[in-house]
Amino acid sequence: MKNRMIVFVLGLAAAAAPLLAQTSPLQLPSPVEKELAARAANVTEVTLGKNMLAFAAKFMNDKNKNDEAARQLIEGLDGIYVRDYEFDKPGQYSMVDIDKLRRSFEGPEWTPIVRARDRKSGETTDVMMKMVNGQSRGMFVLSAEPKELSIVLILGPIRMNQLGQLKGLSGLSALGNATNTRQGNEKGKDKKGGVQ
Amino acid sequence: MRPWLWVPLCFIALLIPVVVLAGGGSGFNGVVNSIESRYHVRATQIPFMGLASLIANRATDGGVDDVHVAEFKHFSKPVDGEELNRIAEKKLGPGWERMIRETSRTGREHTLIFSRPEGKRMGLFVIDLDGHELDVVQVSVNPNRMNQTIAQYSHNQHHQEKSD
Repeated sequence: MKNRMIVFVLGLAAAAAPLLAQTSPLQLPSPVEKELAARAANVTEVTLGKNMLAFAAKFMNDKNKNDEAARQLIEGLDGIYVRDYEFDKPGQYSMVDIDKLRRSFEGPEWTPIVRARDRKSGETTDVMMKMVNGQSRGMFVLSAEPKELSIVLILGPIRMNQLGQLKGLSGLSALGNATNTRQGNEKGKDKKGGVQ
Repeated sequence: MRPWLWVPLCFIALLIPVVVLAGGGSGFNGVVNSIESRYHVRATQIPFMGLASLIANRATDGGVDDVHVAEFKHFSKPVDGEELNRIAEKKLGPGWERMIRETSRTGREHTLIFSRPEGKRMGLFVIDLDGHELDVVQVSVNPNRMNQTIAQYSHNQHHQEKSD
């Protein structure tokens, strides 16, 4: 009887695990998030779940070319999550924090596609793609400036050519940097004959 | 009436004011009541809010409806963003999803925006603390109507610019 109870409880826990995971889709280590939030002067969180995106997509103007492209992009997405931390002065977060954030996306499904560093300005941009069966199923952008740290996580099928359409949305300006950097890298790649 | 029925009836009658005073209820009033009881403040009553809501509905051709506003002036109590968020989530209940949360370390600026699909409309619930003023707003918008209104104004403006 006791064994049956244990099996039942474990089964229940296994069934509940994906549900619990859904409630926290932004796979960031929460201690890092809390530490960053405590040090930041301003914190902005944008959370757009699948339901809200599907609902918003319904009301995008089909006649407007930009709206139509954005609608096509967001109606298939599972969620858009943004965190933006603004700091009073440089040095209020460390590279250790950045590495912790990066490590949380170091799974087999996540592939780094852009890693840009600017020593002069101290800016870094990381873009990782979630690839499932050769198809992009998510994107993680980490943009760090001396006084600002932006994290964007998009889950669901993504068409890179349409991604720029989202940068007008609140908090998603980092996507503009990401797509520009990616395009720049691709141009650089072409010039160097495919050598990065 | 049977005498033993008076006991539960009296209990319920006593319970109702206790629940109301403790910030009972849900939705807009639930959040406002909870803020009032937690921070010992009172929302400024805005007269003719129902009329204003009706006018907003007519003026936007149904684009905006069901407007609720509560204003807390001289709000000087320190606010914990986490707690304010918990109050809102608890009182709004299921269906509402938090879209945007903005907090400042000083604790004097907090913005929470919740939304929920309401058929063809979208419900928006905003709590905004800016300095010493806290505003709570709930509104139901029809995005299609809003799009049409915006397009109409854009068209008129474009037309006017052309004629100039």
